[in-house]
Amino acid sequence: MLADVTAAAPVTVGRPARMMIARHSARRSLRSGVLWGYVFGVVVASSALSYGRIYSTGAERQRLAATFGANHASSALFGPAPQLQTVAGFTAFKVSMTLIIIGAIWGLLTSTRMLRGEEDAGRWELLLSEPTTQGRAVAQVLAGLGVGAVVMWAITGVLTVAVGRSSTVRIGVTAGLYLALAMVASAVMFLAVGAVMSQLAPSRGRAAGYAAVFLGVSYGLRMVADAGTGGQRGPGLHGLIWASPLGWVEQLQPLTDPRPLALIPIAAFTAALAALAVLLAGRRDIGAGIWPDRNTRAPHVRLLSGATGLTVRLTLPAALGWAAGVAIAAALIGTVAKAAGATIEGSEQQVLSRLGSPGSGVAAFSGLAFLILAVTIAFQAAGVVNAARAEEAEGHLDHVLAASVSRSRWFAGRLLVGIAALLFSGIAAGVFTWIGEATQGGGVGFPTALDAGINVIPPALFALGIGALAFGLWPRRASVVVYVVLGWSVLVQFAGGFAAQNHWLLDTSLFHQMASVPAVPPDWQVNGILTGIGLAAMFLGERALRRRDLRGG
Amino acid sequence: MAEAKPAIRTRGLSKRYGQVTALADLDLDVAPGEVVGYLGPNGAGKTTTIRLLLGFIRPTAGRAEIFGMDCQRDPVMVHRRVAFVPAEASLWPSLTGAETLRLLGRLHGQADLPYRDELIARFDLDPSKKVRAYSRGNRQKVLLIAALMTRADLLVLDEPTSGLDPLMEVAFRHCVTEARERGQAVFLSSHVLSEVEALCDRVVILRDGRVAEAGTLSEMRHLSAVTVEATFAGEVPDLSGVPGVSGVVVDGHSLRCQVTGLVQPLLTALANAGVTRLLSGEPSLEELFLAYYGQSAPSEGVTGVAS
Repeated sequence: MLADVTAAAPVTVGRPARMMIARHSARRSLRSGVLWGYVFGVVVASSALSYGRIYSTGAERQRLAATFGANHASSALFGPAPQLQTVAGFTAFKVSMTLIIIGAIWGLLTSTRMLRGEEDAGRWELLLSEPTTQGRAVAQVLAGLGVGAVVMWAITGVLTVAVGRSSTVRIGVTAGLYLALAMVASAVMFLAVGAVMSQLAPSRGRAAGYAAVFLGVSYGLRMVADAGTGGQRGPGLHGLIWASPLGWVEQLQPLTDPRPLALIPIAAFTAALAALAVLLAGRRDIGAGIWPDRNTRAPHVRLLSGATGLTVRLTLPAALGWAAGVAIAAALIGTVAKAAGATIEGSEQQVLSRLGSPGSGVAAFSGLAFLILAVTIAFQAAGVVNAARAEEAEGHLDHVLAASVSRSRWFAGRLLVGIAALLFSGIAAGVFTWIGEATQGGGVGFPTALDAGINVIPPALFALGIGALAFGLWPRRASVVVYVVLGWSVLVQFAGGFAAQNHWLLDTSLFHQMASVPAVPPDWQVNGILTGIGLAAMFLGERALRRRDLRGG
Repeated sequence: MAEAKPAIRTRGLSKRYGQVTALADLDLDVAPGEVVGYLGPNGAGKTTTIRLLLGFIRPTAGRAEIFGMDCQRDPVMVHRRVAFVPAEASLWPSLTGAETLRLLGRLHGQADLPYRDELIARFDLDPSKKVRAYSRGNRQKVLLIAALMTRADLLVLDEPTSGLDPLMEVAFRHCVTEARERGQAVFLSSHVLSEVEALCDRVVILRDGRVAEAGTLSEMRHLSAVTVEATFAGEVPDLSGVPGVSGVVVDGHSLRCQVTGLVQPLLTALANAGVTRLLSGEPSLEELFLAYYGQSAPSEGVTGVAS
């Protein structure tokens, strides 16, 4: 027997190990690539097919193009809207900015999870024990993530081409695939952004935070550039479009006036960042970031006297990050509100009212802008649920509960801190919008802006309640539940809202329940109901948590 | 009065996950001041038991009490008298060791600060480092210090020395011995059998979610086979048919066998066989453990010299 063992020699059991990291990464990114490719394709298809039904006559289409095509408000928020009298132009406008931003978020979250998240979890060292270097491993992960992005593009493209064959749509194969490319371009760029941030930051959370700030700045630059298009400050500011990666995607102009040359900065930016990520990976220690993070310090014991204090301490950086992002976006919105709102008049109001923001001028623009801020703050609420689940999954909650803290007290503390953070962000949205507007010499006034800020909080509380209930009942599915609720609400509100689909569908959107303050007065009754449902769901979630097993990751 | 109640008492404690039985009908008693070792292979139900005792998971049947308090009904009151070290040293990476110790002490509600500082010195821990910069062993030290500094009446330790170097294992054994001398009970789940053998008054061995054996080491050894080795001047006698003798291995003029129950029949059989050397030994905990899981004990188990 011994002789047999010593005689045994290693045999090849599969592909060379150097390919395994890329294959592993591709397998993990494939599922979400397929899912989001399908979602993108369905959104494009439903937009294209709904156009003919809603705007059935030439006169209606011309009126849409005349009233909405030159609107600075929608241009600032969603990008330019050329050729709205055609199904192609309408489809490109309706889906572009929403899908571009969703794609960017997918990219930055996926790459920071696959790179920095694996490293934080200790699995990265296992992969690096294969015959490879850290730089090559990063390159392989990026290659694998690229497979996910390609699949996302292919599925979006196939669905677009398929619907393009319809006699009411008529989008060619090349145009359909080009549209899909434009929709996926931001995902690819932000995969690379996330990869670089994963090398710079000392943890996944910070890497995702830095990438999110980069996305926020990109959106802000594009918004300022597009708000100035054709306006008083237009020519100078519109050049900013080339300073924003999201601006490059916008410049692809699928289905209307294709400019494939805009692919050059996109490809160059992606390749440069990918190369930079590989380079930086080879120059840092495992577990550390390029940007220094002190490993030792004198103890800072403030807030470390109880479970709620700990929650404040752990979640404060993220809460401040969200509030800062909201404040910057609100200030930018306030800055462009006057110019953008000046073009909203007459029949344009009907179009804006379909998005839930009736009225005219600055108020109508701000109503729409606060809808976007409401979505942002609702996603912050989802982050509160994620953080609570992470505490349980990583075993940190065991330490807290084993040390004389009840489940109820811990959970109530987390929810209270989360609610305080949402309130802070909502008020920041109102205050900084007012400041932005004040710098331009006009606006909706401080009390109204503050009302608008407070008005975005109830949907976030509702989302937090749904997340808390899911956490109590199905902890491993809590994040999925809250993101599905929010994702569905966003798609219905923005994609459905432009097409004024039936109100039963629109009513399924959380954001459709919210009054578009300051375009309309706050509906405190609806706000009370949303808040009440949210608080009741939190209470039920706490009851469920008390009765269930703790579950690891 | 509270000290008269058992530190741990379970009756019919069971936990099922769907069709899988993680723990079945566990009856367990740990007295105050007693150190009990809890052994079993991976998946035997050790961590499930501990999570049931701490109220982290709900039993399918049965009940568990700590110092007379129901672990499910009064978890907060229970935890005030318990300190826990989990198997995986997962801590908040952004906090330093000192901050973590401060936090865990405040959460528990009691901490002997001079003893904490002494433990930091004993375990040679640098508390100014962030948890993210600690090795696995150092994270384990933080958890051990956090548990020991509470001076809790019951220490529940799940694989407490995983990742510790041999010097730190010695420091840990000293701490557990001190805790027992102070009257603290210790429930020690471990795979380090020498550690359990050195520290524990009693041992409970789990298999497939059920108690396979429980008792003091001497009781368990008494019930188990004794290994006997004998060397003869002439031929090795035939021991077939001798009551209690099994596993006879003959090597030239030497013989090795196991004896269960009374040794007298074997001694009678050997009396006129010209024995020149006779060795016997009780099984080590490792041999007992392996015996319960169907593996043969290593030959190094014979230690005692009978003649």
